[in-house]
Amino acid sequence: MNEALPWLVWLLPIIGALLTPIFAKIGDKVRDYLAVLFSLASAVSAALLLLSNEVIHSTVEWIPSIGLQAGVLADQLSIIMANIVAWISFLIMVYSLGYMKGEPNLTRYWFFMNFFIGNMQLIVLSDNLLQLFFGWEGVGLCSYALIGFWHTDEKKYWVGTPVEEGGRRAWGREQAYSPSHAGMKAFITTRVGDSAFLIGLLILYTHSKTFSFTQLAEHTEWASSLASAGLLIPVTILIFGGAIGKSAQFPLQEWLPDAMAGPTAVSALIHAATMVKAGVFLVARIGPIFYTAAQAVNAAPLFFEAVAWVGAFTAFLAATQAVVGREIKKVLAYSTVSQIGYMMLALGAAGLVAEETAFASGFTAGFFHLMSHAVFKASLFMAAGALIHACGSKYLSDMGGLRKVMPITFFSMLLASASLAGVPPLSGFWSKDAVLASVLEAHTPYAPILFALSVATAMLTVFYTFRMLGLVFFGEKGKLGLEHKHGLHEEAEHHLGEAPKVMWLPYTILAVASLVIGLAGPFVETSLHNSLEHYLHEYGFEAAHKGFELNLAAVGGSLAALAVGLPLSYSIYIARRLDAAKIVNSSKLLRAIYIFLENRWYLNTLYYAIFVDGLLSFARIIWRGLEVSVIDRLGDATASASIIFSKAGNWFDRYIVDGFINGLAYINVRFSRLARILQTGVSQNYLLVFAVGVIVVLIILVLNPSLLLR
Amino acid sequence: MSTVFYYAAIFTVSSMLVSMLSLSRSSSVRQSIPFFVSLAALLLSLTLTLFKMLNYLSAPSPIYTNLFHEDFLAYFFALTVLLVSLFVVLSSRNYMWGERNLAVYFSLLLFSTLGMVLLSFAADLLMIVVAWELMSIPTYVLAGLRKSDPFSNEASVKYFLLGAFSSGILLYAISLTYGLTGTTNLNAVLQNLQQLPNPLDPIAILMLALYIAGFGLKMSVVPFHMWIPDAYEGAPTTISAFLSAGTKKAGFVVAIRVFVVALPFLSVNWTTAFAILALATMTLGNIAALTQRSVSRMLAYSSIAQAGYLLIGFAVASGPAKTLGLIGVLFHVFNHAVMQSAAFLAVAAVDRAIGKVGLDSFASLWRRMPITALSLAVALLALAGIPPLNGFWSKLVLFTAAIQGDMAWLAVAAVLNSALSLGYYAWVIKRMYIDEPTGLGAQSKIREPTLISAVLLIATAITIVVGIYPSLIYDLAKAAVLAYQ
Repeated sequence: MNEALPWLVWLLPIIGALLTPIFAKIGDKVRDYLAVLFSLASAVSAALLLLSNEVIHSTVEWIPSIGLQAGVLADQLSIIMANIVAWISFLIMVYSLGYMKGEPNLTRYWFFMNFFIGNMQLIVLSDNLLQLFFGWEGVGLCSYALIGFWHTDEKKYWVGTPVEEGGRRAWGREQAYSPSHAGMKAFITTRVGDSAFLIGLLILYTHSKTFSFTQLAEHTEWASSLASAGLLIPVTILIFGGAIGKSAQFPLQEWLPDAMAGPTAVSALIHAATMVKAGVFLVARIGPIFYTAAQAVNAAPLFFEAVAWVGAFTAFLAATQAVVGREIKKVLAYSTVSQIGYMMLALGAAGLVAEETAFASGFTAGFFHLMSHAVFKASLFMAAGALIHACGSKYLSDMGGLRKVMPITFFSMLLASASLAGVPPLSGFWSKDAVLASVLEAHTPYAPILFALSVATAMLTVFYTFRMLGLVFFGEKGKLGLEHKHGLHEEAEHHLGEAPKVMWLPYTILAVASLVIGLAGPFVETSLHNSLEHYLHEYGFEAAHKGFELNLAAVGGSLAALAVGLPLSYSIYIARRLDAAKIVNSSKLLRAIYIFLENRWYLNTLYYAIFVDGLLSFARIIWRGLEVSVIDRLGDATASASIIFSKAGNWFDRYIVDGFINGLAYINVRFSRLARILQTGVSQNYLLVFAVGVIVVLIILVLNPSLLLR
Repeated sequence: MSTVFYYAAIFTVSSMLVSMLSLSRSSSVRQSIPFFVSLAALLLSLTLTLFKMLNYLSAPSPIYTNLFHEDFLAYFFALTVLLVSLFVVLSSRNYMWGERNLAVYFSLLLFSTLGMVLLSFAADLLMIVVAWELMSIPTYVLAGLRKSDPFSNEASVKYFLLGAFSSGILLYAISLTYGLTGTTNLNAVLQNLQQLPNPLDPIAILMLALYIAGFGLKMSVVPFHMWIPDAYEGAPTTISAFLSAGTKKAGFVVAIRVFVVALPFLSVNWTTAFAILALATMTLGNIAALTQRSVSRMLAYSSIAQAGYLLIGFAVASGPAKTLGLIGVLFHVFNHAVMQSAAFLAVAAVDRAIGKVGLDSFASLWRRMPITALSLAVALLALAGIPPLNGFWSKLVLFTAAIQGDMAWLAVAAVLNSALSLGYYAWVIKRMYIDEPTGLGAQSKIREPTLISAVLLIATAITIVVGIYPSLIYDLAKAAVLAYQ
């Protein structure tokens, strides 16, 4: 029975997804509730795994002739992750019942939600990299489909501020995107990372002959084989590229803020709690393997250095952007990118420690932060969805004074935000603290810089979190009264008031969970540390059981961040003693910084200029230059011939076969039109290309450039 | 008696019968009987092939004669092309219904299929030429079957001119081979070429270039691909499926026979040429597909790009990854035949049901033709190499072969190309599933052509089943390649 559990965890949601269209035939209610039920069943299986508390590794033959097996590996790491994913998913599915009520095309919604959960669990529970890659692509596909769920692309579903609503252009480019554009952007950007991942995977496979995690960890000869080919570092970085794309880390971070065009439940599930953590999970899965392998060949831990730097920089980059965010979901999205940066930083720092026994600390820190972030961020997103529903606006400036109107939402958002800001004793405080401590333990000359970056990020986090809280719940009652004059949101369904129970219950549960985890913080961290240490032991790490200890420098840093950020944010946005707009407008420098931040450091625009415009114009040049010019001439050449042929055919038909007259008039019109377009040409051109091709091949053969290319 | 004889007998008799039926005065005889006869011929030969394959797997017994090699490679290709022909014939029942000259259409399809089957077995250069022409000439006519449609004619003329030219080049190459070795039997060619005093003989190099160009036309290798977009767009769509999924594959089997078997001693030369051609073919195909605004032209360019991936198998054919590369080629040939014919036949269904294949026809297609839309979406995702669909696996094998063959740059280019290709495939899927319908009456549900839908469902099932359990086909491909060495 236990053998089947890990399979059930990921197969149940997929089966549920496939059955959705059938349930939809029975009735809408049946479809909705059964979809939620399947995710619950998956969550229960995951919980049973946790209770049984044993490592399950079950495999089946996949391609026997090359020894490829499909399998699930439920060990400490994946069991914890699977439970985080499963239970948060279930709560978000419940929330969706309320949030998506009355939307059309819900069959598609439930299909992709369940399909997503299944694929995510496939990533978590896979025992090999290839199968993980399957889930990896699957979640990407679901993310694409769900971001573009509101496919009608009405302006109210756009992400960013369209120019006609007072949005800014950056380099003449509008910074607002339709849901389908955002979906495509997410898909293509993550595909860049996926391509790197796939190439890395294939190179790794050619040297290791296996995709299996346990095999890779047991037989580390592949490391020396890769190292001797000079490929060890490139391969690890390439695989990390996949994680960068999925987890929206620099330089592939730009898709996530725009992915907020999707329904909020989707943002909560995919773009906060689960899918974007897949990258972190991947690093957690392969990090220990790379660490031991690199040790075996005495390679410098460049991989971990890259992970740490990417994480620290992204954390800072995204936090600065969150400070000026105008839309509540976008602030949360920047914050997600930033917090994932922390997790990467911790995992990277883990690999930079002086002695092997300390690896587990950073590893635990990264994973602990993943867990606590998943909980409070999912809660924040769902609450944000409730706010958007209630106010009919995604802009922070349209909200305000909602403290009294939506007390439950306020309460749970306060808890979750405080956790995000790292206020003791909430879960975010402990986990962020662990991250900072792990940076201090890193044995690298850059450790102080990394630490400074992460403390600065912590400060920014405190600032933007309370800014968001202040703008939404404090001050005057925003523009809500004006809303109806605007004519923007005429739907009568937007009434001010608390969200329905089916919506507030899930996010309140998570907010309280964040508090509970926080109250038991040291205990949770220690037990997580112990079970992950157990896990690492399987990968050849020496265990050093240690009790819980606070790193005072880290606590100091995080409290300092709180001390700077909170009063500032409080006086501007909660007490409203200072006016942010006035401060920014008072100095040119501040104004320039503001615009720089709002335009996302111009990275987004730069990418568009280079990759979108660049590629498209390249494609057009190729198309015009190579294909059209030749094809047109070919067309000229053959036009005459084909007209003759078809005329001959017609003549034959008309006078000899059966004298069909019908339609000839029509056909003649077509001919004359065609003849006008394609004038007579020389048919030699047609074959000229072919002949040139032969000569080109001949030249290649004679020059024999194989030595250059190999 | 040899298996090839059975194939020849089945197809010759049935297509003769069919073409005689065109003389019948009864329109129902002209419309229906050719279809059933063709169907029977294909089912019979498919059964024969499967039977032979099972026999072979239990007790390998290749038969080598001077003209034919009856080995597992031949059966594998025969299976693939027969499957494609079956798909095309079944769909033609719906697609060509009511057109004139149906009997001619089916008999030509059968002749061309026989040509492809013979090519799978052919082991003598002269036999190859005969089979090559038997396969090609009927398709020139088929492409221009709608003789009152100028586009169909244009397609046919372009295709014919280049086809004739490439046949000439092929014959020239064969004459050079004969001049160098004094034989046309592939095994003898191999032996005699080994005794050539100078392996870099200029004539030998010229011969190689001419072979590449000659086969390259059917294999849709850049720069011999020019005819493809026009031909695929202008020809009846079922014929586009036939050309892209069928005759193109025959080009690959001959290329394997000639290059990998007969000419390996010059391998240093031609593998590099194939690597460069692979790069050019996949890149140009994908980039050109990106700018297309017509689904059939987009599929034509995508088919060119897929040929680029297949060429990787030839590029590594002289190194340590030879076996894996060839397995990849065979595997991808099979998968591509299924995916590409599904894609084209879905377009044919749209063409038949809506009457035009412009962009508007695809908007919100899932409401109007759910089976067609689903099959097209699956086929396109498979072409893009999304797991867990069959296209992912064969690409994976090919890319791994490139890395093993010390051509990591080619693998990188191929993976990037593959990622890029999703741009245009996803665009069509978005059109079908996400965009709102445009135009009047675009909301109403349409009756989907029954047989095409059935074919599409079969193809989709193969795509998914092979995707989830790839060893079904992978093991066959492996057996074919191992038996060959």
